[in-house]
Amino acid sequence: MVGPAMNLSGLVILVADPSSYMSMLIHSMLRGFGNSKVLEVRHSSAVLETLTTQKIDILITDARIPPRGGLLLTRAIRRKEDNENRTVPILVMTSDLRESTVKLARDAGANMVIAKPMSPASLYDRLAWIAFNPRQFIDTTNYFGPDRRFKIEGYPGGVGRRKGDKAVEIGAEAGPALAQNDIDSLFTAARVGQDS
Amino acid sequence: MTKQTEPDARAFFVDTRFQRLARRSGGITREQAINQAQAGIEEARGGFEAWVDTELKELVDLVKSAGTDRAAPDWLDAANFRSRQLRDVGTTMGFELLSFVADSLCDLLDSIAAGAECNMDSVVCHVDALVLSRQERYRDMQPDQVPDLTKGLRRVVRHVST
Repeated sequence: MVGPAMNLSGLVILVADPSSYMSMLIHSMLRGFGNSKVLEVRHSSAVLETLTTQKIDILITDARIPPRGGLLLTRAIRRKEDNENRTVPILVMTSDLRESTVKLARDAGANMVIAKPMSPASLYDRLAWIAFNPRQFIDTTNYFGPDRRFKIEGYPGGVGRRKGDKAVEIGAEAGPALAQNDIDSLFTAARVGQDS
Repeated sequence: MTKQTEPDARAFFVDTRFQRLARRSGGITREQAINQAQAGIEEARGGFEAWVDTELKELVDLVKSAGTDRAAPDWLDAANFRSRQLRDVGTTMGFELLSFVADSLCDLLDSIAAGAECNMDSVVCHVDALVLSRQERYRDMQPDQVPDLTKGLRRVVRHVST
């Protein structure tokens, strides 16, 4: 993935991971990317508290942040109508790479999922993707978050589709774990190039 | 924020502060950013082995106490947390074999948490493999260099999970 230079200086990044060592490593990576304002929390309740007291530019959360996990946390942030940070970009880190889990993260309103363990290149590319590929936000009775319509269509149960979308053939379920490229494709807007 | 109205969904653009600022000029290239991040990780490497040793000791103690009177009530959660840490950090720090074994242990503990039989022999065998993979002779190895070990662990996990 090659793109324009990304400028993270001055941005406030909230890292939510139960592991202090993992947080330290992420912090090191972000510092290498030119960012110096990283906040760290270990619980999802601390995320919600931080969001009410500080302006956060992006949230990077572990999918298993205690007590209830990063997906419920994402959903809570997106659903709360009076939340000033409702549209904050959210990057979910997970080692559970089953397609069903990635879809759950996407359907909770995550902007992107990154596979753990992760490398600096992997983290940089996901952040750059969020920065340079903005998607519309969708607000329905059941969902609030980045547009979930994709280039790859045909997921069982019509996930990511809305009334008015053209019918597509239903594709077969994929294998038990996805590679990062497969995860990325689940977050690629259907109308890239037309939405921006 | 530009808004469009649709019959059953409201679609609108949000240009977040993250996106606006990240696109500013004056950023650093991908290559430079990754090199700098890698250098930061290298700096952290100094304390990594001591950290691994502490985590392994905690894990060994947790597993030893499991099934005894002094077992922590949440030993499974605690063991799972420590093995996840080892797995996630291990690969980033270049301890591939350690990370592989920790991943296998995570699968095993997840299965037990989901209701599979708590077979302590299988847990102990994973912890022993973790301790082994930390040793100097093994720590720089890739999982495919010790196929008997990796296949054996996978077989144990499959046996417990089914």
